Amino acid sequence: MKDKKSYDVILFKAVSYALKAEKILKNEKLPHKLIPVPKHISSDCGVCLRIQVDARDKIMAALEDKVDIEQVRALEDK
Amino acid sequence: MSDIIIVDARGLSCPQPVVLAKQALESSKKVKVIVDNETALENVKRLGNKLGCSVSVEAQSGGLYEIQLIRGADFNKDQLTAAEFCETGAAPSGPFVIVFAENKMGRGNDELGTVLIKAFLHTVAGQAKKPDVMIFYNTGVKLTVQGSDVLDDLKQLESEGVQILVCGTCLNYFEIKDKLAAGVVSNMYDIVEIMSSASRLLTP
Repeated sequence: MKDKKSYDVILFKAVSYALKAEKILKNEKLPHKLIPVPKHISSDCGVCLRIQVDARDKIMAALEDKVDIEQVRALEDK
Repeated sequence: MSDIIIVDARGLSCPQPVVLAKQALESSKKVKVIVDNETALENVKRLGNKLGCSVSVEAQSGGLYEIQLIRGADFNKDQLTAAEFCETGAAPSGPFVIVFAENKMGRGNDELGTVLIKAFLHTVAGQAKKPDVMIFYNTGVKLTVQGSDVLDDLKQLESEGVQILVCGTCLNYFEIKDKLAAGVVSNMYDIVEIMSSASRLLTP
């Protein structure tokens, strides 16, 4: 909200994958943020990774074959 | 018909609508107040009744109410202060406080607790009703120092006026006082005072 960056969210099949992905991205020093899954996407109590759109390709490459990704989609800003 | 003063109190929260209505009544016999919420409606109605006005309300579309107040014979403007009409439904007097006693949320699994506290703070930062004060002590202080994953949320909250108090003894104990990145170093006096005066105290 405060900045004009556009974000995607990566949704995982399980919380443990989100944590694993977070660790991988931390090690690779790729920018990301663990956030609750936005209500308009799912009402489940879940967490997902918010990433900047311009870093998506690098991030997806880093996560490839390491974690089960359910979906990557745009995070519409409120 | 004498002159009517119209007070547009939309978007204002107590005590403003009451203050404005009272001021208007001091200079005019007839006042119409437009408010956009029920709390303001009730407070202005009570003001009118207490001041001996005749009060009539018309609900308008879009959740608006028009309250017509007409001064009675025994109108006495000095009777009461506006603040006295702001009890019901209005914000309670003490601050809304969130206490972070740990750098995790809940007990049982630390890895999960770390995830949850991040999600909690991110969600707090996105809420319309933000806390007035957030207090961090024990391992909670680790959330406020360099390298913490929640710094951007804390800084955002701070920039929006949320007071962030960090226990100095705790920073000292963990030897991270020089790494404080959000909030101000505080002490037990302030912490006790704020916790005691809180209208709501929340611990994740």
